[in-house]
Amino acid sequence: MTDEPTIVIRDLHKSYGTTQVLRGCSMNVARGEVVVVCGPSGSGKSTLIKCINGLEGFQSGSIRVEGVEVGGKSTNLPKLRARVGMVFQHFELYPHMSVLDNIALAQVHVLKRTRPAARERARELLKRVGLQEKADAMPADLSGGQQQRVAIARALALDPQAILFDEPTSALDPEMIHEVLQVMTELAAEGMTMVVVTHEMGFARRVAHRVVFMDAGEIVEDAPSEAFFSAPKTQRAVEFLSKILAH
Amino acid sequence: MPDVILKNLPFLLQGLWLTLTLSVWSIALGTALGLVVGTVRFVRLPVLNAAALVYVEFIRGTPLLVVLFITYFALPALFGYHTTAYRAAVLGFVLFIGAYLAEDFRSGLRAVRPTLIQAGLATGLTRWQVLRFIILPQAIRRVLPSLFNQYVRLIKFTSVASVIGVTELTGAGLLVNAREFQPVTILASIAVVYLVVCMLLSLAGRALYARFAVRT
Amino acid sequence: MTYQFDWTPIWEARGLIAEGLLVTVAVSAVSLAFSVVIGFIVGGAASAGSRTMRGLALLFTETMRNIPLLIHMYIWYMAFAFLRLPAFSCAVLGLSLYSGAYVAEVVRTGIGAVGRGQIQAALASGLTRLQAMRLIIYPQALRIIAPSLASLFSQLIKDSSLASVIAVAELTYQAGAIDGQTFRTFEVYITISLIYLVLVTAASQLVLLIPGSRSEAAAGRFADA
Repeated sequence: MTDEPTIVIRDLHKSYGTTQVLRGCSMNVARGEVVVVCGPSGSGKSTLIKCINGLEGFQSGSIRVEGVEVGGKSTNLPKLRARVGMVFQHFELYPHMSVLDNIALAQVHVLKRTRPAARERARELLKRVGLQEKADAMPADLSGGQQQRVAIARALALDPQAILFDEPTSALDPEMIHEVLQVMTELAAEGMTMVVVTHEMGFARRVAHRVVFMDAGEIVEDAPSEAFFSAPKTQRAVEFLSKILAH
Repeated sequence: MPDVILKNLPFLLQGLWLTLTLSVWSIALGTALGLVVGTVRFVRLPVLNAAALVYVEFIRGTPLLVVLFITYFALPALFGYHTTAYRAAVLGFVLFIGAYLAEDFRSGLRAVRPTLIQAGLATGLTRWQVLRFIILPQAIRRVLPSLFNQYVRLIKFTSVASVIGVTELTGAGLLVNAREFQPVTILASIAVVYLVVCMLLSLAGRALYARFAVRT
Repeated sequence: MTYQFDWTPIWEARGLIAEGLLVTVAVSAVSLAFSVVIGFIVGGAASAGSRTMRGLALLFTETMRNIPLLIHMYIWYMAFAFLRLPAFSCAVLGLSLYSGAYVAEVVRTGIGAVGRGQIQAALASGLTRLQAMRLIIYPQALRIIAPSLASLFSQLIKDSSLASVIAVAELTYQAGAIDGQTFRTFEVYITISLIYLVLVTAASQLVLLIPGSRSEAAAGRFADA
């Protein structure tokens, strides 16, 4: 076990055709840290975290997750992804399977657990997110907030070292945002390493250790959360905060 | 070009010509029929709607070959008239494609937004005027891709006319083969011709659609 | 109209009709099985990341679809006569390749209709691309394309009538035989038309067997493929 941070991003560059999406981003995420990534839309935040688990490629730079080079030619991506979970903006539960099977699937096919063991673990996780009675329901029967909590349980099922969150509450009706943030707060308290792309500044302030502010593909500020909110160093961060905290 | 094709080129080209004339007649008349029947079904004219329904459902559930046998053998026997294979084929194709086009037109008509129709009526237009100036133009543009699909299908189907003795491209090719015994070359050449004609028509359809597409 | 209707010879020939019906169903069912397999393989290739795969898939579908079915059958029956394939197999081969290309197109659009987020979610949990396709994408695609598959199956049954031209003793062939014996032209052809109508309607209902197919399957009775 090295002292290297869990996630190390160095000078990452990415473009789509002629459009530069990420310009030389560098950041670290230590074990147990909760990092919030924020910024205006189009700043590249979602692209950045999708690079971490290899869902998006990049042209230059490097990303190391637990010492493994994400862009490496011989890297086993599925194996890496089993150690880093992801929660999506639109939940992405598999609609043709029950809630329980959604959580059990990757356990059986990636971790090679037996089906009974997987389902048992799934029930535990459902209990943890407060949805044990929904085990046999289909995703379409659940509210958005419930679906997202199931999605978090699904990500936890592989016992990951870290979880990436891509705007987990942006697609939710306001009254359901709280239940999802609640689960995320508990996860953080338990010491999970988390990278969260979000606009929920209340969550960032209370729960995050660090805030990374991005704009136009660059990491503009990277500071402990209290410092970021009370004394932002750059003009762009100041403007962003004033807009987002205004309402 | 292979020798056997070269030797019989005039005959084969005549066959191709027949394929094209057969197609053009069937497409033109079939589209007219389909438009009328589709509109009748959409508007639900009292007695005609039932007749249209029977026609469309019957044809769409029947294989083309059987339709051709009906127009070439069964109907002349029933009504006691004489017909040539070519005319029976045209009748068969027109009835066949007409039923499918009728359904395409009908779904195109139904796809026009009701609010648009209401807007037309609200400006004082009669229902027939709304149909003519608002619904039909929109519907026709929308179904253009489906129409061209059916047209390409028809060109392929003209090959079946060879079974009732029409010497279109396939029929001509088979006759040449009966004399020359070169099935590989002849069939391959015929296949290529159909491929080219169908792809050209598909491309034309796509170009037309791009130009006239409905901008929602 | 001086035509005298007489349906009794048709009833008397019901044995031949039944035999023809059986062969029609056999040809259609076997061809359907092959077309679905071909269609899923080619449709999957058409949705692949590699451009060569997509190109090959496109080549296959465009070639197979734009050659008339009758020519397909003649090719197997006459051009490949040295293979000495029985007429039944020629019909099945022709039908399977022709329909398979149509199924491939439908599968390709079905796969495309499954949201992009689904495959990302599957990959993010550590499933390999193949696992993701098998467990997440294909099942959902199958439900989406079920109505179109019903249409294609109906079309297959109608297309099987062309097998009569290469002397497969299916329904249309028997109709011709009965007409030759009894001269009840109108009655026999109307009868088999109605039989095809029933077959085609039944076939489109079968697709409801796929769990989760939407009831639009009932609407996809006849093919416009």
